[in-house]
Amino acid sequence: MTAAASSARPALRDHLVARAFRTKTGAIAGGWLVLLALAAIFAHVLTPYEYDVQQLSAAYSPPSLSHWLGTDEFGRDLLTRILYGARISLSVSVISIGLSVLAGMVLGAAAGYFGGRLDRMITTVIDLSWSFPEILVALILVAIIGPGVTGTMVAITVAYLAQFARLTRAQVMAIKSETFIEAASGLGASHRHILFRHLLPNAITPVLVSGMLATGDAIILEATLGFFGLGAQPPTPSWGAMMSSGTALLFKAPWIIIFPGLAAAITVVSINLFGDALIAGLDVRSRPRTE
Amino acid sequence: MRKLLAKAALAAGICFAGLCAAVPAVFAQEATIVFNTNEVGAPTYNPIKASMLNAATGLIYDMLVEQDADLSFHPHLAESWEEAPDGMSWVFHLKKGVTFHNGEPFNAQTIPAWLELFKESDNAYMSEAIDKVEVVDDYTVKFAMKHPDPNLLYNLSSTFMAIPEPKAYKALGDKFGVTEAIGTGPYKLETFNVGSETVLVRNDAYTWGSPLSKNTGPAKIQKLTFREIPEESTAFLELKTGGVDMLLGVPTDFMGELKSEPNIALLTLPGSEVAYMSINVTSAPFTDIKVREAAAFAINQQEILDSIYGGVGSVANTFLISALPESQVDPKYLVKYDPERSKTLLDEAGWKMADDGIRAKDGTPLKVSLWTQSDTSFRRLSEVVQAQLKAVGIDAEITSFDSSSIRDQYKSGKQQLAVRSYEWNNADIVDWFFGGDRLGYPNTSMFNDPKAEELRKKAMSGSANSEQRQANFKTYHEYVLSQFPMAPIYQPTVNVAYNKDRLVLPEHIRGTEVGPATFMDMTVKE
Repeated sequence: MTAAASSARPALRDHLVARAFRTKTGAIAGGWLVLLALAAIFAHVLTPYEYDVQQLSAAYSPPSLSHWLGTDEFGRDLLTRILYGARISLSVSVISIGLSVLAGMVLGAAAGYFGGRLDRMITTVIDLSWSFPEILVALILVAIIGPGVTGTMVAITVAYLAQFARLTRAQVMAIKSETFIEAASGLGASHRHILFRHLLPNAITPVLVSGMLATGDAIILEATLGFFGLGAQPPTPSWGAMMSSGTALLFKAPWIIIFPGLAAAITVVSINLFGDALIAGLDVRSRPRTE
Repeated sequence: MRKLLAKAALAAGICFAGLCAAVPAVFAQEATIVFNTNEVGAPTYNPIKASMLNAATGLIYDMLVEQDADLSFHPHLAESWEEAPDGMSWVFHLKKGVTFHNGEPFNAQTIPAWLELFKESDNAYMSEAIDKVEVVDDYTVKFAMKHPDPNLLYNLSSTFMAIPEPKAYKALGDKFGVTEAIGTGPYKLETFNVGSETVLVRNDAYTWGSPLSKNTGPAKIQKLTFREIPEESTAFLELKTGGVDMLLGVPTDFMGELKSEPNIALLTLPGSEVAYMSINVTSAPFTDIKVREAAAFAINQQEILDSIYGGVGSVANTFLISALPESQVDPKYLVKYDPERSKTLLDEAGWKMADDGIRAKDGTPLKVSLWTQSDTSFRRLSEVVQAQLKAVGIDAEITSFDSSSIRDQYKSGKQQLAVRSYEWNNADIVDWFFGGDRLGYPNTSMFNDPKAEELRKKAMSGSANSEQRQANFKTYHEYVLSQFPMAPIYQPTVNVAYNKDRLVLPEHIRGTEVGPATFMDMTVKE
C-alpha cells in the first residue's frame, strides 16, 4: 500500500523533506536525528566499552576523559549505554509507530470509504480507545503481555492506532466526494483501484507527518514504561530505565539521570521541530489531487 | 485593649506562621514523620485483619508483651506471666487502670472477646495454639493450650496482636481501623487517608507506658503526623528542606549526603530484613541440586554489600537474620561465595562452558529467568546478581514485575530465580517461605520435601519450651539450607534520619524498631 503510494508521489515527498531541512530549525533538528540514528547504528564501533559489562570498582565515576558522561551505579560507561539505549528508543518507537500508522490507515480508510455498519463498528471501537490516555492503554497492555521490548512495541502500536485511524478516515471522507473520485468510479474503477491509487495517496501525507510527531510521543511513552521497569529488561539499556535508577542517585551521581534525560528531551524536541518544519512545507490546498 | 491587640497580633502571627511551615517553633509540640517506603500503602489499622501494618499502629494500640532490641520480652499490658512447666497453660496478670480511647475499661474480660475476633482471619495462626481462655479474676487470665507454643510471647509482642477495643471492633465492622481505630495506646487516631497521611493526637489519659521507655505517662509530643512518601528522593528532600522532621527509612545511597547535613542526625539500627534469591526447585535445570548449589555459591555477598550498599549492613549467609540464635548453623551449611565450587558443580552436572561464556548441556544453553520487583533498589540488586551468575556461565534474563502484582505471578509457579526480601525477626519465617502447603507464594521456591516437612512440623508445634524450639528450628533451617532452595544475599540495616534541631530522641533506642518506646520519650525542641 505504502509502496504504491510512494511510487505515486516521490517528487512531492522528497520535496517536502528537503524543504524541511532547508529551514534553520528543521536543519538543526533533522541534523540531530540523523546524527543520533547513525550513532545508535554504529554504537559498537564508536565506543570501546560494552553496555552490559559491570565494573563495580569504577561505579559512580563522574564525567572524565575516559568516561565522557561518567559511569553508572555498576561502573558501566554512560555514553555507551545512552547510545545503545538510543537503539532501543528509536527502533521501538519508529517500528511501533510505523505499524500503528499502517494499521490505523487500513482501518480508517476502510471505515471512511465503505461507511455504513463497518464505519460505525470501527469508529465505536476507535473512539472508545481514543477516550483513554495512551499511557493507560499502554500500561494495561504491558500488564497483559508482560514487560519487555515486545510488550512495549505492541502497547505503543495499539495506544496510537486510534489517532491515525481517525485522521485517515476524515481525510478519506473528505476526498471521497470529490468529482475526480466520482469520475473514476463512473469509469468503472474497482474499490481497490480507487482506494490505493486515488484516495490513500492523497490522504497519506498528513498521516505521515502526524506519525512523525507521534514518534516523539512514542519515545516518551517507551521511556515512561522503561521508567516503571516495564520496558526493555536489564541489562539492555533504555533511557527511561536509566533515568529511573538515577532518581535514587540524584544527589550522589546526578549525571546518571541528567544525560539520558537530556538525550530523550533533545530527541523529542527535535522530532517535534522537524515535524513542524514538515507541516510548514505541507500546503494541502496547493497540492495536486491526481497525477 | 492593649492586651487584646497583643493577642490579636499573636493570633495573626500564629496564623501567618502556620501558613509558612518554615517557622516550626510555633508548633513546637508537633512532629511530622515519614514512614519507611516498605510501609507505604498499608490499607488499615485493623491489627486482626491486616497483612501489613505500619509504624503508627504501635502508637494507637498496646500489646500484652513488648520485645526489646535484644529480642528479650518485657511486660506491658500484661504485668507478669507464668508458663506451666509442660507448656500447656499460661497465666497472665494484667495491668490495672487501663482504659481504651472510648472509655471502655481494659480488663480480663477483654482478652477472650479479643481472641475471639481472630477466628477466620489470616492472622489466626498467631493465636492458633491457644485452646481456651479462662477469666480467673478481673485482672488475671489463663490460656489453656492445644500444644505448647514457645513462640507465644513473640506473637503477643507483635503489632498483629495489638489489642483493639472488642465492642467498637464489632460495631464498626469493616470500617474499624480505617475510619476509627480504638486502642489503649499513647496516641489516638484522628484522621487516616490511605496512602497519604495519618494524624495522631496524644492520649492525655495514658499512664501505662511499657518499661522500655523512661516516660510511662502521656507522650510528650501532642500531635504526630505520619506521611507516606513512596519516592525516597522526595522524602529525602523534604527532610533536607525542613518539610518533615524524621524519616523512618533512609536508603543507604542517601546516607553519605545526609551525614554532611549539619542539622540531620542519623541512626543505624540492626534491621530484620534479609534479601535473598529464591530458586524454584521444580523448574529445570534447578531440579538438579548441583545446579541450585552452583547458583547459590555464585552470589558474591561481600561484593554486593561493598558496591551497592557502601558497606552498610552485613552479608547474609543463612536464611535468618544474625540476631536469631537459629541462624548460628553449623558452618558447613553457610552459603558463602565460592566461584570455584560453583564452576566445578556445573561441570559435574554436565553444563560445560561454551565459547560465548554461557554454559551448555547437549546443545541447550544454561539460560534461566530471574524475576524481580520493578522498584529501583530491587532492580539494581538483580542486575548485580545477573552479572555474578554470568561470571560462572549462567545466563539469567531479568523480568521485573510491579511489586503489587508479583505475588500473583509467583502463585503461577513459573518463576525460576527470584530476587526478593522479607522482614521478620523470628525463625518461623523458614516455615512461612518453605512450607510445602504454601507453594507458589509465599513458598516461591516451590520447596516441598518430605524430610523438611517432618522437621518443620516438629519445629512449629512439637517443641515443649523455647530451648527445644530453638534446636528444632536450627535443624529445620540447616536442612533447608542443605537443599539450596535459595541463596542468601544481604541484611540491610534500618536507617532513621531526623532533624536534630527539632527533635530530641532517647539516647538508646529500645524495642525492635523506632516505635512506641522511642516516641514516648521523644520531645520537640522549644
